[in-house]
Amino acid sequence: MTAPVNLAQTERSQQEIRRLRRRALLALRYLILIVLALLFLFPIAWSFVNSIKLPAEALAVPPTYLPTEISLQNYEELTTYGKIGIAQHVYNSTVVALITVAGSIVLSTLGGYGFARFNFPGKNVLFIMVLSTLMIPFQSILIPLFVMIVQVDLHDTLFGLALVYITFQLPFGIFLMRNSFLAVPHEIEESALLDGCGSLSILYRLMLRLVLPGIVTVAIYAFINSWNEFLAALIFMSDQDKFTLPVFLTTIRYGIWGDVNWGALQAGVIVSIIPSLAIFLALQRYYMDGLMGGAVKN
Amino acid sequence: MQLTLFNLSWEQRRKLTGLLFVMPTVAFVTIFFIIPLLMTIFMSFHDWPLFGERAFAGLENYQELSKDRQYLKSLDFTFRYTALVTPPIFILGFILASLVRHNIRYIGIFRTIFFLPVVIGLGVSSLLWVWMLDDRIGVFNKILLDLNLVPKAQLFLGRPNTAMNVIILSVVWKTVGFTMILLLAGLQAIPDELYESAEVDGAGYFRKLIYITLPLMRRFIALALILSVIGSVLSFDQFYIMTRGGPRNSTISIVFWIFNNSFTYFKMGYGAAMSIVLLGILVALTGLQLYVLRERE
Amino acid sequence: MISRKTLLLAVVFVLVLGSLPLAAQDDQINMTMWVRSIPFQTQAMVDEWNANNDSQIELTVIPSGEFVTKMGAAIAAGEPPDIASIDLIYTPAFAAAGQLVDITDYVKALPYAETLTPAHMELGMYEGRNYAVPTGVDGSFIVYNIDLFEQAGLDPDNPPSTWDEMLEAMRAIDALGDDIYGYWFSMNCAGCNAFTFLPFIWASGGDVLSNDYSEATITSDPIVRDALAFYNTIWEEGLVPEGASIDNGSNFVSAFGAGNIGMSGTGNFAIAGYTNDFPDLNFGVFHIPGQEGGAASFGGGDVIAIASGSEHVEEAWRFIEWTMSDEAQIEIYAANGQIPVRLELVDNPYFEGDERQLTAASALAVGHTPYTTVYNDLFNDPNGPWLEMLQVAILDGDIDGALELGQERFTQIMGG
Repeated sequence: MTAPVNLAQTERSQQEIRRLRRRALLALRYLILIVLALLFLFPIAWSFVNSIKLPAEALAVPPTYLPTEISLQNYEELTTYGKIGIAQHVYNSTVVALITVAGSIVLSTLGGYGFARFNFPGKNVLFIMVLSTLMIPFQSILIPLFVMIVQVDLHDTLFGLALVYITFQLPFGIFLMRNSFLAVPHEIEESALLDGCGSLSILYRLMLRLVLPGIVTVAIYAFINSWNEFLAALIFMSDQDKFTLPVFLTTIRYGIWGDVNWGALQAGVIVSIIPSLAIFLALQRYYMDGLMGGAVKN
Repeated sequence: MQLTLFNLSWEQRRKLTGLLFVMPTVAFVTIFFIIPLLMTIFMSFHDWPLFGERAFAGLENYQELSKDRQYLKSLDFTFRYTALVTPPIFILGFILASLVRHNIRYIGIFRTIFFLPVVIGLGVSSLLWVWMLDDRIGVFNKILLDLNLVPKAQLFLGRPNTAMNVIILSVVWKTVGFTMILLLAGLQAIPDELYESAEVDGAGYFRKLIYITLPLMRRFIALALILSVIGSVLSFDQFYIMTRGGPRNSTISIVFWIFNNSFTYFKMGYGAAMSIVLLGILVALTGLQLYVLRERE
Repeated sequence: MISRKTLLLAVVFVLVLGSLPLAAQDDQINMTMWVRSIPFQTQAMVDEWNANNDSQIELTVIPSGEFVTKMGAAIAAGEPPDIASIDLIYTPAFAAAGQLVDITDYVKALPYAETLTPAHMELGMYEGRNYAVPTGVDGSFIVYNIDLFEQAGLDPDNPPSTWDEMLEAMRAIDALGDDIYGYWFSMNCAGCNAFTFLPFIWASGGDVLSNDYSEATITSDPIVRDALAFYNTIWEEGLVPEGASIDNGSNFVSAFGAGNIGMSGTGNFAIAGYTNDFPDLNFGVFHIPGQEGGAASFGGGDVIAIASGSEHVEEAWRFIEWTMSDEAQIEIYAANGQIPVRLELVDNPYFEGDERQLTAASALAVGHTPYTTVYNDLFNDPNGPWLEMLQVAILDGDIDGALELGQERFTQIMGG
C-alpha cells in the first residue's frame, strides 16, 4: 500500500538529485570559466592598471598592486617620447594598415572574382601559385625582399612595407573572396550579362554588395596582421621616424643605456592593443567566419 | 581597349577579362614572392655582404652551415621549443574548447575573453610579459614573494631552463585561443546524437572522448597542430624581445639566427642558405599537412 | 554617394602619396649625423655648431646595441648619414667595405695630427689611409667606493694592484652586510665586458687574439682561463648581486652609484655621471690590474667619419675639424668632464687637481684596442661568442666548455 508512494518519492528525489547534480556541475563549469577568464584577462588588466599609475609609482620596486593615484602622465610622456612622440608612430602604423587593407580588398576582390567566375588558360596554375604563398612564410624570403625593396628605393617608406604586407595577405584574401563569389548564384549575374553590362560594372554594381561579408573579413585580417607585424617592420624601417608601433615600443624598452621606462611602455602597450581589440570586438563574427572559412574548409 | 577587343568572340573576351581580373594579384605574387624565392636560391650560392662586393661562392655557404655551432644549436633549440610549446597549447586549447562548447548563458563572453590575446601582436605581448617576469619590478615575483612561495626574487629569464618555461607560458596565453576556436569548430561539427546513443550504451567520458570525439575531430586536430607547429618553427618576436637570444645564447631560434647573420653580421648569402634549409623544413611540414588533411576525403 | 567614394579615394591617394619618400629641396646645407647613445658631448657640439654656422646638422641618436645594424641597413639602402660618430672598434669594418670617405689629406694638414689619441687613429686607418679621427675618448678602469673601503678596514689610498688583492678587498667589503657587495659586473652585456674584462687579461700579458689579430688564442693562452676563473670565483662566492648575472648594461653605470658596491669596472664617460647624479658618492679610480700586477685599459670611445656618398664632404670636414679645435676640446669637452681627444690638452684648467680625471686620462697610456673587421660579431654582439663564453665560464662554472666554445666560434667568425 505504501510501496507506490515510496517509489514515486524515490523517483522524485532521484530526479531532484540529478537536477541538483546537473546544477552543481553547471556551477562548477562557470566557476572554472570565471577563474580561467580572470587569468586570461590579468596581463592586459595589469598593464592597464600600471599605465595609469604615476610614472614614479610604475617604476617602484617592489611594484604596488593598485595605483595610489590615478594619472595619465605615462600617456603624456609618450606624446613626447623619443624624437617625435607616439602620435607619429600611431600615424605610421595606421597608414601602413590602411594601405594594406585597401590593397588587400581591391586585389582580393578582383582576383577572387576572376578565379571564381572566369575560365582562362593557366587558371589552376595561377591559383595554386597564389595559394602557395601561404605555405612559404615571408620569414624565409626576407633577405631578397629586403634587397629588392632597397633597390627600388622603397626602403624606409611605409608604402614599401605595406606592399609586402599586401602580398602576404593575398592567398588568404583570394581564397576567401573566391569562395564568397562561388556562393553567389550564377543567375544573378547572367541576367545582368544579358542586359549588356560589362564585367567590371557587374562586379561593382551587383556583386560587391553580395560578397560584402567576405570583404569585411579580408579587411579585418589585413588590419590586425599589419598592425601587429614586427619582424618585417624591424628590418625594412631604419629611420626612427618611420617605425611602426610595435618596433617603436621596443625602443622604449631598449632606450639610452637600456633604462626602461616601464610606465610609458605599458601606456604604449595599451595604445597599441586598443585598435585591434576594438575592431575584433566590433566585428567578431566576421573574424571568426574568416578563421573557419579560411582555415578549416580547405 | 574596346577596339582591340572588338574582333574577339564573347568566349575569348571572357577569358581575357578573367585574366585581367587576376593579373594584379599574379603580378604582386610574382614580384614579392616568386622572384624573392628564386633570389634566395641564387643568393645562397654567393658571398653576398649587406654592402660591398659580392662574389660567387658555390656551395661554401652550405658547407659552413655544418660547422656553425650556433646554427646547429638554433636548429636544436627551435625543434625543442616546438616540441615543448605544442602540447600545452593543444591540451589547454582542447580543455577550453570543451568548456565553451555548449551554448550556455554568457558563453560568448568567455569565448571572446579566451580569444582576446590572439588579436594582440606577439611583439607587444612579449613586451608585456618581459615586464611581468622582471625580477625587480615584475608582478609575478611580487605575488610569489607575498605568498611566501619563493625565498627571493626569481630571475625567470636569466636561466636557460626557466627562460624556456616562462616564454612558453607567455606564448600559450597569446595563442591558445586560436587553437581553442579551431577545436571548437571540430567539436560542434559532431552530432549530439552520437553522444546520446553512446551514453545509452553506458559509455563514460573517456570512452566517448577516445571513440567519438577524437576520431571525428581528426582533421581539426591535425590542422590545429600543424598551424601551431609551423608558427613555432618560425618564431622570432618573443626571443628577440624577451631574452635577446640569451641567456648563454640558449634561446636563438632559426629565424633569429638568419636575422642576425643577414642584418647584424651582414652575411646575406649565408643567411639565404639558412633560409633555404628553413624552407625545406616548412615544405616538409606543409606536405605533411596536406597529406593528413587529404586522407579522409 | 559618389562624393563619399571620391573622398575615400582621395584619402587613400593622399595616404599613399604621404608614404612615399619626398625629396628635400633646400639651398641651405643640411647634414645628418648619427651617434650611438653614449653620453659624449655630441649634442652640445651640434647645438653649438648649429647656432654659429649656416650649415645645419640634424643629430640622430641610435641605441648602441642597434648601431651597426642600423648603419649597415642605411648604407645598403644608399641613405647613410653625412657624418657618423662610430664606436672606434667598428671603423675597420666600415672602412674595409669602402663606406667611409678617405680623409688622409685633411688629416695630414692638421697641425696637431700627431697628438690625436693613437688608439683611435690606428683604428681609423685602413691600408695606410685615414678614414676617421677621434671624437670621444674613453679608457676603462675601476672605480671603488672609498667609504666602503674604510669601513672594511682597507686602505683607500692603496687600492688593489693584483687579482688576489681585489678578491680580498671584495670579500672584506661583502662581509659588511647583506645588501653590500664587493663588486659589480653586467654579465648580460657583451660590450661592457669587452671594455672592463679584457684588460684583466691584457694586464697579465695575455690576449684572446694573436698579435696580428689573425686568430683566436683562447685555448692556447692560459691567462684567459685564469681570468675566467677569477671572475667565476667572484660569482660563486656571491661577491656580486645576483641581478648582475642578467643585467644587459642598463645598470652598468648606475649600480655602483647606489653606494652598496665596493668596486666596478667602468670608463671615463661615467665619472661625470657619478659626480652629477650621486653627489654623496665618495669614490676613487685605479687601473685594471693584471694577475700579479701591471695595468691595462681598453682604449674605447668613438671616432668621427664621413660616409661615402655624402654630398657635403667639405662642410662635414669643417665641422669635424672644429670639434677638435682648442675651443671645442676645452670649453665643451673638458668643461663637461670629458677627456680631450688631443693628448696635449689633458693638462687643462678643468682637470687640474682632479686625481680621478688624471688617472682616467692616464689609462689611455696603457690603452689597447683590438683591430679587427669582425669586432662586432666577436665581442659586442649580444649573441656573439664572447658573451656566451663569459656566461658559461663565469656563471655556470664550465670553464673548459666555455674555452672550447669560444675558440671554435671565434675561429669560425674570423675565418669566414
